[in-house]
Amino acid sequence: MDALLRSEEMTLCQMFLQSEAAYACVSELGEIGLVQFRDLNPDVNAFQRKFVNEIRRCEEMERKLRFLEKEINKDGIPMLNTGDNPEAPAPREMIDLEATYEKLENEMKEVNSNSEALKRNFLELTELKHILRKTQTFFEEALHDPSIAEERVGLLGEDPVSRSGQQKLGFVAGVILRERIPSFEVMLWRVCRGNVFLRQADIDSPLEDPITGDSVHKSVFIIFFQGEQLKSRIKKICEGYRATLYPCPETQAERREMAIGVMTRIEDLNTVLGQTQDHRHRVLVAAAKNIKVWSIKVRKIKAIYHTLNMFNLDVTQKCLIAECWCPVADLDRIQQALRSGTERSGSSVPSIINRMQTRMVPPTYNRCNKFTQGFQNIVDAYGVACYREVNPAPFTCITFPFLFAVMFGDMGHGLIMFLFALFLVLKEKQLQAKKIQNEIFSTFFGGRYIILLMGAFSVYTGLIYNDVFSKSLNLFGCQWVFPSSVGDYRLEALKGTDKILVKPNGTFTGSSYPIGIDPIWSLALNKIAFTNSLKMKISIILGIVQMFFGIALSYLNHRHFQKPLNIIFDFIPMVVFLFCMFGYLVLLIFVKWLKYSSTTAQEPPSLLIGLINMFLFNYGDSEDKMIYSGQQGFQSFLVVVAVLCVPWMMLGKPMYLRYMKRYGQFKHQPLSVNSGDLMGSRYEEEVIHNPEVNGSLHTEEGVEDEHENFSEVLIHQVIHTIEFCLGCISHTASYLRLWALSLAHAQLSEVLWQMVLRIAFRFSRGWGAIGLFIIFQVWAALTVMILVLMEGLSAFLHALRLHWVEFQSKFYDGTGHMFVPFSFDHIADANPDE
Amino acid sequence: MMMPEISFNIDHGYLEGLLRGFKSGILKQADYLNLIQCETLDDLKLHLQSTDYGNFLANEPSPLTVSVIDDKLREKLVIEVEHMRNHALEPLSTFLDYIKYSYMIDNVILLITGTLHGRPIHELLPKCHPLGTFDQLAAINLANTSIMLYNAVLVDTPLAPYIKDCISAEDLDEMNVEIIRNTLYKSYLEDFYNFCKKQGGATADVMCEALAFDADRRAFIITINSFGTELSKEDRMKLYPRCGNLYPTGLKMLGDCDDYEQVKAVADFYPQYKELFENSGSNPGEKTLEDKFFEHEVKLMKKAFMQQFQFGVFYAYIRLKEQENRNILWIGECVAQRHRAKIDSYIPIF
Repeated sequence: MDALLRSEEMTLCQMFLQSEAAYACVSELGEIGLVQFRDLNPDVNAFQRKFVNEIRRCEEMERKLRFLEKEINKDGIPMLNTGDNPEAPAPREMIDLEATYEKLENEMKEVNSNSEALKRNFLELTELKHILRKTQTFFEEALHDPSIAEERVGLLGEDPVSRSGQQKLGFVAGVILRERIPSFEVMLWRVCRGNVFLRQADIDSPLEDPITGDSVHKSVFIIFFQGEQLKSRIKKICEGYRATLYPCPETQAERREMAIGVMTRIEDLNTVLGQTQDHRHRVLVAAAKNIKVWSIKVRKIKAIYHTLNMFNLDVTQKCLIAECWCPVADLDRIQQALRSGTERSGSSVPSIINRMQTRMVPPTYNRCNKFTQGFQNIVDAYGVACYREVNPAPFTCITFPFLFAVMFGDMGHGLIMFLFALFLVLKEKQLQAKKIQNEIFSTFFGGRYIILLMGAFSVYTGLIYNDVFSKSLNLFGCQWVFPSSVGDYRLEALKGTDKILVKPNGTFTGSSYPIGIDPIWSLALNKIAFTNSLKMKISIILGIVQMFFGIALSYLNHRHFQKPLNIIFDFIPMVVFLFCMFGYLVLLIFVKWLKYSSTTAQEPPSLLIGLINMFLFNYGDSEDKMIYSGQQGFQSFLVVVAVLCVPWMMLGKPMYLRYMKRYGQFKHQPLSVNSGDLMGSRYEEEVIHNPEVNGSLHTEEGVEDEHENFSEVLIHQVIHTIEFCLGCISHTASYLRLWALSLAHAQLSEVLWQMVLRIAFRFSRGWGAIGLFIIFQVWAALTVMILVLMEGLSAFLHALRLHWVEFQSKFYDGTGHMFVPFSFDHIADANPDE
Repeated sequence: MMMPEISFNIDHGYLEGLLRGFKSGILKQADYLNLIQCETLDDLKLHLQSTDYGNFLANEPSPLTVSVIDDKLREKLVIEVEHMRNHALEPLSTFLDYIKYSYMIDNVILLITGTLHGRPIHELLPKCHPLGTFDQLAAINLANTSIMLYNAVLVDTPLAPYIKDCISAEDLDEMNVEIIRNTLYKSYLEDFYNFCKKQGGATADVMCEALAFDADRRAFIITINSFGTELSKEDRMKLYPRCGNLYPTGLKMLGDCDDYEQVKAVADFYPQYKELFENSGSNPGEKTLEDKFFEHEVKLMKKAFMQQFQFGVFYAYIRLKEQENRNILWIGECVAQRHRAKIDSYIPIF
């Protein structure tokens, strides 16, 4: 029981690890994941630590693995994920691993550069092929199209004689990226002053860029010009625009010959390319089988060296000194791990672990299973418990889904939620293996047990509220009888309405419906009035009970930390105060329920007015409406007691401490008096095994200050008192949200039924089926989206608030720090991208 | 609009928020203290990993070189600036474009000087700053006169109006290129200055101060560099940007200077520059005038972050980041060349 209620007992340990065994020991400790190492050299830079070279080697290996992984992904080869978790390899194996990766990387790089060269070659040939093909059409057009022929004349100048001989029209042909054509054209025109003629045609199929591997669209162009100066300019522009120029023979026969040559070379290249690709594929497939295991191994090595960097070196350089937090209960397992680590490394000197005495506050470690983990997360999200403080998580397991269900009470909606969570729970293993990254899904999945319980509890409260999708079930037979002779209940009177005013006097049979609310209320005009009264009272009762429970837990805390003063000056007045105000109200609620029957339903006084009058001492005209005799005196007494509790709480402790200080009874042991904290002295008898090597390190963090002075105690106590007294009232009111949300939920689902689904029932016969078919789907979608998801979320948040603020404020400090053990678990799971 | 602060966040709030986030990633003094202790470039990488730079060097094989670090630093800045430019609305987008123009000018000059020295264009193009590339840049090797430069390259770009003043049919030589660079810069600064002034409000306050300093710095440096060259005083006068604190009297005095001492005498009239000149020198232990100017610029840029709802922060961030890159590269060079004596003459930012 204690294990659930409080966090694990922790101890600070010192380890002496032989330098040759340290690696293996840390590796073993990483596998069991039960120790949290402290950084013993916080002032040393990352690159000045002892094992920085090893870490750098690991990073280099990681880089190679990332490179391989990128290549594997590029080829779309599936990576084998067997899910097995290899041990961290021994340091000497690191060299082998490095060599393997090095070899693979080099091979890969060689293959890549080969295939890049081949692809570039291939690209050039393909481009040439396209040029030859497209220019063919240009030339043919030029021959046949008279307009172009004319243009050529124009280009060449007026003198037709020169055309035949020396003034030959030159041209260059090339390939350019398609998106660059417009600016290329403008530039050509501008630089050559319009004295060139450009033709271009798109290459239909995209080409592959040899370096990036992307497919790019290109175009063939051919530029006709005249003269050497223009030629050099055009060439410069082409160079600037990264256009590749190809030689293009002038006569058709030469072009055809060249085209044939190009085609054969392309075919040759294709076979070579295919072989290179095959080779690359083989290498990558082989690598893909191991890559996950490899990267886990490398990450483990890196984690170990990071941990080793936190250790101190012994003066003799023979051994490493580590300090760590670990649970006392697991010391044996840690010893075991150290032993096996030492054995594995073949070291003759055993590794030693010593418990140390310290004044630092240990970390908080709550052992959880997959069921309690979700609830523990809810608690931790508010604040991590102080060391050995009462942990509210085990109670939250029940109270959280219950309070949720009070607000969400509906059998139908609860069932949907329950089945959804049940699916997640049953398919747990498969879903976990899939590693779905979707944030929304993982939120639901992480809280599956919470949702399961919330659903189940909602079904239960739905049964109490007698609510299924806003309809009631008449399971056990209604216990109300309406004599048809009485005025309002005559048949003729009922015909015109669908609601009746239910008056208990005379219609209630006297024996109640076995469980939950009588179904007759779903037909009642005064249903809301009835359920409001009921739910409000239930909310108050649940709230006060939970707050009392919270205060009771604070008693456990005070007792555990041995602070008797807190029990006398905090716990007792708190209980008295809360009882005098609201505990009494709860009693009155029960009295009222039990004392008045259906025949006297009109008589009882209002509790709310009664409560207000109690604090105002106002008993003037309501003398006849007392619930019991002597009520006035008793209530006045309670109010006086409650008021007296305030100074008791506020001044009691500081005054006592002041008194004790002055009249020195306890002068010689101020430690135990001041804070009631005996933590320090509990271990006093224990033999201190080791003189502290590095004593100065421990004083810095987390040592509790024992000497609080009077004014500080007083101020703290005043704040605490005010907070509690005001809190009692506001928190009680806050619990009314249980009623409010439950009312809202019931009304919303009723509205949805009346406004949406009922439309379908009004259709005439033939259309009714089709109408119902369509409208049902609308109704179902709205039910799931609004009532289950949205309302569920809102009820969840309110339940969360009730736990964090109203419940936990009574006893929970939540100022501890979490135990973060050095563990390989998350390394195996972690996403490689991170 | 009466109060631009009210509606500023509608259009530019996201980017300003983002930018202030970026700003908090600028290396602090403590980081520099760690960096200068590095023994190798791999140490440098290891330390940079723990800063906002994160894994930006993780995929680079060892051993690292300074040029790889340079490329990666630049790439990171470019990604950030391009992201902001892509999300910017008017007038911020124009403002960011203005910042890019200075890189365009640098690129144009880089390429011209490169081609003058006979380097092939495809070797030069990758050296250009990615923030200042444009399509026409590729044809720059056509330009052997400034008129060609205008016609072929700059006519369609936003830089076209800036070159108006120095179009000539003379062949380009190094002197010409320098003049073109300074004329472009001068017109650019004046244009940018007027643009910022037109924006009004806090943007004008912050940016005019920054640009005025930039203009004055150019004027000083042009004057100092012109000693011993064949640049005439009239030509020199034309190169001074006329939007700084020196304009108009200071510039006139600068135009008459013949040596460094006279420049110093001019600076004495301006308290902010007097201080810079007084504490600088080329002796060991003293900071160079250039570093002094950089330091002053950093001070100004840091001040820009004091005001909200203005564009100055974008300019300031890019400037500071450039300075940071220079710092890292300086430290990197010192580490790589094992020349540790001057390693701490970087310019700390925060």
